[in-house]
Amino acid sequence: MSGIIEVDNLSFAYTADREILKNISFRVDAGTFLAIAGPNGAGKSTLLNLLCGLLAPDSGTIKVDSMPVGSYSNEALAEKFAVVRQEPVPAFGFSVIEMVLMARTRYFGSMGFESRQDRQAVNEALEATDTAQFAARPLSSLSGGERQRVFIARALAQSSSILLLDEPTSFLDFKHQVAIYDLLKAAQLEKNKTIVTVTHDINLASQYCDQILLLGADGSYYTGNTRTVLSADRIRKVFDVEIFEGKIGQERFFIPLGKSTRERGQSDNKKSQSPHL
Amino acid sequence: MGLTVLIMVMMACAAVGTASISFRAALEGPGEQATVNPDYEILVNVRLPRILLACLVGAALACAGVVFQALLRNPLADPYILGISSGAGLGAMIAVVAGFSWTLWGRSPIAVFAFIGASGTVWLVWFVGRLTGRFHVTGLLLAGVVVNAFFSAVIMFITSIARADKVYDTIFWLMGYMTAEDFLTLWIGAGFVLSGILALFFIAPQLNALSLGPDNAVSMGVNVKKTRLIAFLVASAITAIAVSLSGLIGFVGLVVPHAVRLVFGPDHRQLLPLSAIVGAIFLIATDTLARVVIAPTELPVGVVTAIVGGPVFLVLLVKYSRQVGWMK
Repeated sequence: MSGIIEVDNLSFAYTADREILKNISFRVDAGTFLAIAGPNGAGKSTLLNLLCGLLAPDSGTIKVDSMPVGSYSNEALAEKFAVVRQEPVPAFGFSVIEMVLMARTRYFGSMGFESRQDRQAVNEALEATDTAQFAARPLSSLSGGERQRVFIARALAQSSSILLLDEPTSFLDFKHQVAIYDLLKAAQLEKNKTIVTVTHDINLASQYCDQILLLGADGSYYTGNTRTVLSADRIRKVFDVEIFEGKIGQERFFIPLGKSTRERGQSDNKKSQSPHL
Repeated sequence: MGLTVLIMVMMACAAVGTASISFRAALEGPGEQATVNPDYEILVNVRLPRILLACLVGAALACAGVVFQALLRNPLADPYILGISSGAGLGAMIAVVAGFSWTLWGRSPIAVFAFIGASGTVWLVWFVGRLTGRFHVTGLLLAGVVVNAFFSAVIMFITSIARADKVYDTIFWLMGYMTAEDFLTLWIGAGFVLSGILALFFIAPQLNALSLGPDNAVSMGVNVKKTRLIAFLVASAITAIAVSLSGLIGFVGLVVPHAVRLVFGPDHRQLLPLSAIVGAIFLIATDTLARVVIAPTELPVGVVTAIVGGPVFLVLLVKYSRQVGWMK
């Protein structure tokens, strides 16, 4: 079986002297949930823009449904990918429903008006993201969590087979982080979407995502099943930070340790090692 | 609905003026060769052309303002932001100082040179903006601002070395100057402006999508390059036509789009047609004021648009912005 996205030997550089992505290969199967994680500057967002065709690879190929991304027209590509970038707030005071309706622009009739299917797709997206109750409100009046759900509603309304997201939970509290991932998981399981999300949250990724692509800042990368790829040693190496690993049942959790915690931990160890104190 | 209001305003303004006329008398027709019907003459050959001109120019400037604001994703944008005004001004200045006295299709050299100056500036700004590459919009804006400043400096240079009486003509033009145009000019202008506005209606949904930024618009399947090219060319063309017909009338292109957006929302599919109508009504009304306030002399209409439009806009801003959140 071939994946819905196949990346083969991909390299990309913004400037000739620094290659940001080097010889990366991975595959995303249809209907799976992939997390892209890694330190700042590792090229996560760049990879997202390469996937959706906004940037062109320097070498290597990216195929979607067995065809190179570059061979699709812009409109055909919008049928494959819907992209949620960080804080895509429109320039003027559009309401929630107006903004979600923009995702249907390419389906509009020649007079520029939406059809009944368009309105239905928008309503379904609003229902799925639990945003229908503030459809008429301007986007600027919503909280961060509500707004992020609206952005996802816009992506769902585009009726694409793949959702690409760039750090969808970065400004949200715990409750809303979980709500966003629940929403994405539901879209994966109920609407059979393929989901690719850039994230800094290893623990949410390990709970929700089937696959992970861990990009290192030095050009190294690890890909595969989330459970097999994630380990304390590997995260320590990729992010260059001390990690504590804990377990709840089968689920593993990774907590970065600050300098003061590490020092206290070391002195505690010494105490327990020296019985005469 | 809006069109009905427009027609009512046109009729009301046709009735107002230095000389009082009656519609009933005017409807009796042009009269015999010997006894000209003065009411008909004033209405049809003096006031009506000027009202139609104001209608045309107001609609063109308001629509161009909407489009430039959408294109540049900047609420401060107006039809003149990319230097069209100073280009046209420079053209007009050159025509006046050089003392041309010919006419082209009934147009004075001021109008012809203003049009050439406006189009040339647009081309220059677009060309420079394209060289700046991926951050096209920022490049365009900067190129526009700099070209604007440069041409304004050249205008001031010419002003300071030219003879005072010649400069006086252009100063009026720079403040917005409307006269009764002949019907041929009006029909040609109307043809271009109306087809331009119509073309803009067709890209209204794409302009909505562009408000999310070019990257997001592309990802939603919108042809951003094509939309931008059409929007830029059409908005520039109707602005250049408006400017060459009536001089530099400020404020309409900035304030009408905002006022309509504040009251009716930012969806371009209704923002464009409504702005066209409101822009037309606004300019007809202010031009009528300009005609009658210090009659029999006239004020430059650009002065009236700002004096009347400013306070009205501020009231709208305070009243509606809390509900609409238009800046975010």
